[in-house]
Amino acid sequence: MSKFKKDDGKKAPGINTSSLPDIVFMLLFFFMVATTTKEIDPLVKITPAQGSGLTDLTPFKQRSEVDFVYLGAPIKGDASLFDKGIAVQYDGILHKDGIKYIGKWKLDKLAAKPAEFTAPREEIITCFKADELVPMGIIFEAREILGDLNFNKIGYAAQEKGNVGGYNIRVQ
Amino acid sequence: MAKREAPEINAGSMADIAFLLLIFFLVTTTMDKDTAYLRMIPKKVEIPPEKQPEVEKKNIYKIAINNKQVIQARDSIIRPEDISELNSRIKHFYLVNRDRKTNRELNYPYYAFGTKDMYQQKLNEAYIRLDNYERQDAAKNPNIDKYIEQTLNEIAEWRKKLEIIKMYSQYSGKTEMPEIALQAHIRLESFIDTDYSAYVAVQSEVEKAVTQLRDNESSELFGITYSAMRTYWQQNMLEDKPRVSEYREKMDLIELLFPLRLIEVKPKR
Repeated sequence: MSKFKKDDGKKAPGINTSSLPDIVFMLLFFFMVATTTKEIDPLVKITPAQGSGLTDLTPFKQRSEVDFVYLGAPIKGDASLFDKGIAVQYDGILHKDGIKYIGKWKLDKLAAKPAEFTAPREEIITCFKADELVPMGIIFEAREILGDLNFNKIGYAAQEKGNVGGYNIRVQ
Repeated sequence: MAKREAPEINAGSMADIAFLLLIFFLVTTTMDKDTAYLRMIPKKVEIPPEKQPEVEKKNIYKIAINNKQVIQARDSIIRPEDISELNSRIKHFYLVNRDRKTNRELNYPYYAFGTKDMYQQKLNEAYIRLDNYERQDAAKNPNIDKYIEQTLNEIAEWRKKLEIIKMYSQYSGKTEMPEIALQAHIRLESFIDTDYSAYVAVQSEVEKAVTQLRDNESSELFGITYSAMRTYWQQNMLEDKPRVSEYREKMDLIELLFPLRLIEVKPKR
């Protein structure tokens, strides 16, 4: 005597998928809230520096009050073409003049938008996203150019390091 | 007329549409936040002063980083791995003379103890000066407009300070407000070849030390930390909520008590 029923040819009941859109929409909204849009594809390699007590730039980004400058060794091509092997990326391009182009870039960016849509000059943040091995001399050169043009607010980008772990400073 | 029921819309492809959107957002966005230390480049001076103003040595906290990432804070050498020492040193710089009117540490910035009457008097003095300037003949003294403007700025400043000290007395119950010397600042020097990571690490330690001092003071006075207020303010600063202005006023007070004055010196070598 068998305790198990034999397959009597019944089909497995179909799973109700009517709540699938709800689940997917939930995921969608989570990602829409939790992420920010990508700026641009990086052309330079950046290992971010570590720090704590950083300011979140998201509110500034939403008001488009922040311009990013990327500094680091180029991903493609010959690093030795650039001054000290550090390429500077403005929006989508690596400019051959390196950091000296920053003044013109900022002025062009400011002129591209009508005056009523931009924050006052002093309020626009120029944020340096630099690789951890970039020498400070380059950044101070940029600071001087920006200071002369009255773009007074700058940012040093870094990654929140958490409570444990060090700063990854190169010891020589 | 026969009543017809509206045909049901087939929602089977809803999931496909939602998936499509989901995947689009997954691809075009990033999870990591952009975070940075915000700093100001000092305003350009139109006419450079003939003589640089003297700053007393006790008011400077000099931190230098060389091209091998070794840090010098005042007279002590700190190796890169011991960088967290900077925290307690900076706090010491701020706090050592904070409660002392006599018997002060000579090598650290002094504090001034302002009272309501004192600020009121300064404000009155500025008003009298403004009155004097306005009565003068513009033809005789071509610089008079500049003086008037300067005095107006001064008046605005003393007014703000008066508001702040009223708030301080209200929350702390004290009549005197300790104010660190105006010249007291942290001076950050680097070499041309100093690594970005080391420079940022020092910025981080400075920021952390000052934020901790501010958080402590803020918790004591208002029962909420300075960082919490700042986060709220940054996210809602454009909205017209009563809490935004309330937090801004409280933050102004804390920032006056523990100012972060950081001078970043252009490297010479």
